[in-house]
Amino acid sequence: MAGFEPKLVCFSCKFGWGYLGDEAKIDSQVKNRVPIICSGKVDATHILDAFKAGADGVLILGCSEDNCHYQDGNLEAQKRVYLLQKVLAAYGIEPERVKVELSTDPEGKKIAEAVKRFSEAIKKLGPLGKAEVEVSRVA
Amino acid sequence: MWQTKSSGEARVEEAMKQLLPPCQIKCPINEDIQRTNVLLSLLPQNVDEAKFGIIQIGDYLYEKNPFFNICGYICGICELECNYKAKGGSIRRRLLKRFLSDYYSDYLNQKEELSIVKDKENVAIIGGGPGGLMCAYNLSKKGYRPTVFESSDRLGGALWLVPEYRLPQAILKTTMDNLIRLANIDVKYNARVGDGKLTFERLRNDGYRAIFVAKGTPYPRVLTFGTDVVEGQNLSGVMYGHTFLYEMSHGNLGPDYLQEKRVVVIGGGNVAFDVARTARRLGGDVTVVALESEDKNSKDAIPADEEEVRGAWEEDIRIVPSRGVRRIVGEHGRFKSIECPRCISVFDETGFNPKFDYDDLRNISGDVLIITVGQVPDRAFLQKEGLLDEKGRLAVDPFTLQSLRNPMVFIGGDVRRIGFMVEAMREGMEAAESIHRYLRGLDMREGRKRQFEPFPIPYRDTYKPPTEVIWVPPEKRRHFQLFERGLTLHEAIEEAKRCVTCGPCMSCKACISIGFEKSLYAVEVDEQRCSGCGICVYACNYSSANLLMKDGRLVSATDMFRCKSCGICVAACPSGARTLVDDNTHERIDEVIASLGK
Repeated sequence: MAGFEPKLVCFSCKFGWGYLGDEAKIDSQVKNRVPIICSGKVDATHILDAFKAGADGVLILGCSEDNCHYQDGNLEAQKRVYLLQKVLAAYGIEPERVKVELSTDPEGKKIAEAVKRFSEAIKKLGPLGKAEVEVSRVA
Repeated sequence: MWQTKSSGEARVEEAMKQLLPPCQIKCPINEDIQRTNVLLSLLPQNVDEAKFGIIQIGDYLYEKNPFFNICGYICGICELECNYKAKGGSIRRRLLKRFLSDYYSDYLNQKEELSIVKDKENVAIIGGGPGGLMCAYNLSKKGYRPTVFESSDRLGGALWLVPEYRLPQAILKTTMDNLIRLANIDVKYNARVGDGKLTFERLRNDGYRAIFVAKGTPYPRVLTFGTDVVEGQNLSGVMYGHTFLYEMSHGNLGPDYLQEKRVVVIGGGNVAFDVARTARRLGGDVTVVALESEDKNSKDAIPADEEEVRGAWEEDIRIVPSRGVRRIVGEHGRFKSIECPRCISVFDETGFNPKFDYDDLRNISGDVLIITVGQVPDRAFLQKEGLLDEKGRLAVDPFTLQSLRNPMVFIGGDVRRIGFMVEAMREGMEAAESIHRYLRGLDMREGRKRQFEPFPIPYRDTYKPPTEVIWVPPEKRRHFQLFERGLTLHEAIEEAKRCVTCGPCMSCKACISIGFEKSLYAVEVDEQRCSGCGICVYACNYSSANLLMKDGRLVSATDMFRCKSCGICVAACPSGARTLVDDNTHERIDEVIASLGK
């Protein structure tokens, strides 16, 4: 799989990640990032849409465990992704292609790193196959 | 680093009927506690970087409350009603404000004057304490020209009586000096209205169109037993707590003033405890004799704050509860002891009506007796200016604070009813509003009565313990330096993060002010799609999503007053029936998704 550069979508919670950093700078380091008010707002359809459009992985960065501004949106996100992973697996898509990471990074210095780590993991899985995309379209 | 805005969408509008977090309802001036807690929680961890944010938060608070950095030392009323109280401890809002004060007090000296055009009438304000100055500040902002007549040579009124170990005089002075500079308030010092020719008539002749009387309670209350004044209050060695604290604030009492003296303090209020702890620091061996019970849960409990009682106790001050003082015994013209029957009940259905067991008497002897049973207003002045009714009570409308005897006179603060600093500030605010209405010929009452409904605590899995408050150990605090350590930046951020933001977004808008959100999105439910399953009700942490019976079937709805526009219910809805109106997050998502194919 030499030369394979995964296409990723990254959702990041505004209350936990990068609110003190320079947004343009973070955007220049991390392509395809969607800052979102709460990780709990990330819909399963957003994730599936990303796969349909050709994403190889979706990373959701939420607040650290006890620090969700909306009480437990980060846990909602985890729960939702867990369920979605089961569905994805049933259609032959590796569950590892969706990941929730809970932490806090006000300056946004760790976002690029987190995306890189995720990218490495996705690289090992290879690109999301064409057949799988067909399946996810059905889903 | 974010920059806050407070105009446009980010402006917090006041409403007639409003759901608010309980802390903001408890605060007499309804400070925007939640909003500023959220902003504090988003400060950078680096002090130099955080300063920019701290000043912005301070500037925002200052608009409504120019005394906020003093509140950070001595108020904290809001903490009594914090929803978190039942979950391990209130958010330490007072210390959060003191944290702001640690930076903001210095900045005050450089703060730019408010840009105000003063083209309206002259208003005389009698008394330069929190009530009078709050009125002057609010009138100034409305374009009036207030002049404060202060009988002493310093502003702050009764705040000067707060001992320095609780409120440093430097903070008080900076706050006062800058307040009159920033709001361009004219002050006449050593001007005691009521003395000589300085009367209401003179003020009217000098062109003042309204008068706010906020003279406070300048005199100590004498000790009485039943209806009688207790004899012996003129003995040598007997003084009043009010006088004692006044002399202390002027630096007239040396550090050994009470060295090796047995000091007896009569009183159970906060002032009595201020006196006791001050006396202890001046070397005294102190006993507090209070009429009230030591049982915190009793209707007759000692009224002083728990922290004051704890502080006194730690400092080796003896507290003798449930004792009245029937007699002051003297010997050779000097105070010797007091005779104290046991008090069996303080309040009954008629109010304050103490009852005693005279068979249970106790004599408490000492060298110095400090009577601290309250303060009283300058009645002679009120009488002379005709502000009292036939029964000798202040004739004033408690809602508008307008005198019922003289329509150009308004009365508020301690002179009307003794209370906390912030209660006097509230009255100053109300008086300013009334004076504005009076001078503009507007209705005095219309649209003023606001109702609040407290918001319950949102659902959460886990709750965090409060930041530990650190006091200098008792043996090391026999001085007048602050005995409580302030919060560090890190602690302040963590403490502010504990705030679960109970209140609705309407009264907060912190996220809008720093650009996280554009506006507060309304949730719309497509009733055709909604299956009435109730997953949204389960997902919502604010009891905002609910189910209604409509045309014979269940559909979900959203109470916008409670909604936080977080979108969790939208994501949770299995049938895509819920949307956030005007939310443009999906545009960015679509953009990102579209770029994937490229």
